[in-house]
Amino acid sequence: MPAEQPPKLRLCGIGKRFGGNVVAVQSMDLEVIAGEFLCIVGPSGCGKSTVLNMIAGLDQPSDGSIEKDGVLIKGPGADRGVMFQDYALFPWRTVEANIGFGLRYGPRARQISAAERHARVGRLVDTVGLRGSEHKYPHQLSGGMRQRCALARLLANEPDVLLMDEPLAALDAQTRTILQGELLRIWGEVRPVEERRTAIFITHGIDEAVFLADRVVVMSSQPGRVTAIIDIGLPRPRAESVRTDPEFGRLTEEIWSLIRDQAYRAIA
Amino acid sequence: MSARHFRSMVLPVVLVVLWQAWAMTLPAKSAAPSPAHVVKEFGALVSSGALPSATVQSLGRVVLGFVLGAMLGITTGALMGAFRSVHRNLDPIIETFRPVAAIAILPMVILWCGTGLLAAVAIVGYAAFFPLVINTAHGVSHVDRRLVQAALTMGVKPSTILRTVLLPAALPSIFVGARLAMGIAWTAIIAAELAVGAKAGGPGGSGGLGEMMFVDYSYSVDLNGIVVCMIVVGIVSLLIDRGFRAAERRLLAWRL
Repeated sequence: MPAEQPPKLRLCGIGKRFGGNVVAVQSMDLEVIAGEFLCIVGPSGCGKSTVLNMIAGLDQPSDGSIEKDGVLIKGPGADRGVMFQDYALFPWRTVEANIGFGLRYGPRARQISAAERHARVGRLVDTVGLRGSEHKYPHQLSGGMRQRCALARLLANEPDVLLMDEPLAALDAQTRTILQGELLRIWGEVRPVEERRTAIFITHGIDEAVFLADRVVVMSSQPGRVTAIIDIGLPRPRAESVRTDPEFGRLTEEIWSLIRDQAYRAIA
Repeated sequence: MSARHFRSMVLPVVLVVLWQAWAMTLPAKSAAPSPAHVVKEFGALVSSGALPSATVQSLGRVVLGFVLGAMLGITTGALMGAFRSVHRNLDPIIETFRPVAAIAILPMVILWCGTGLLAAVAIVGYAAFFPLVINTAHGVSHVDRRLVQAALTMGVKPSTILRTVLLPAALPSIFVGARLAMGIAWTAIIAAELAVGAKAGGPGGSGGLGEMMFVDYSYSVDLNGIVVCMIVVGIVSLLIDRGFRAAERRLLAWRL
């Protein structure tokens, strides 16, 4: 990554306290480069989700500031799309209507004609493999299908920054592996760096982070702070075979060693 | 008629048979109602046109009052559910008025609105308001916060979120409120028509099933006529409730 490029996101001395003295995040600095896929890993309770919520503008930092393209983030906006861990699909809307929700009710400036909206939703239904289920309600879908629907909804709004909070956590291992590949394809792995979106992806899975990311941010808990940032130099596009690469194993082990003690302490 | 419908009819039929058997042990001149007399009276009231017109009159008042109460109740409830400050300010007022029965405000309503349609709509609207405002407020305030956050991150304005997220998500609660409100609306209108009929001092007052019951009671001591009115009210509200349930199944098909 060229270092002289201005960051897409700049987190400056971020702190977050809840209900008096519970420190969720403490003096965190982080720069996210445009077009990079950044994964955040860390033990439970290290404030990963809190950081994501603050970038989304759903939560305000107690200290410090977050800028996107040099502009202070004050609240949620359509430029930063979020994919929630529990998907947060609208249960009374069909797959199609969920995917098109932001296009229909979002900011006027971004609104497009109904025909364009239907065309874009149709393309995304195909992209995430939900053709044939586009008129179903979320409760009629399997976990994997809901996840695809949430991903399509995130992409439909074409946000500048994709924020994903453990989006694959609820899936079985096979589905997760397939969707990791799909996610990279949709993010723009095969396109040049300047045409890729910026993605921040929270996960518990270290191998998942290594497989997906350009960089992995390792966080520690109590208080939540950045322990290390690991560059993942594995070539793109990443094939399944990269998982058996010795470098893949080395990186996974390196990250695991950074959070091992904390992880054991968390379950003790 | 399915087996399930048939089974649900068994107990009512048994009770009517027992009632008739009991009535047949009474002297011929007894004023006590019996199924046979009720059926005869029903036929007479239908053929004279009195029963259909009274039913239409009461039904019209209930529907208009319900619509008014629903518009006010759902709007107020949605605002209370969405904004804590609105809830904080309105809740004590609403909870103070809620135990005051619709019939208790009748004197005031008659004073201000007379005894015509306006008064009837005001009484029914007042009665229907409370179940709707409370259930809507509860439903809206218990909407999954994630859904609101999801809409916010898509750049949807709060006023649009109220319409496109909070109200649809609260619809199951609103339906519960609507069904309760419809039942209470009937009790309010019959009581109001009874009272207005009593005040007017005889036929030619306000009309409706309640007045018909009062006239039967105070002029002819015809308890059979009163029972006819009771049954009509019961059946009409049962049909309305079935209609609500059908709408619920259609509109809430997205639920499990």
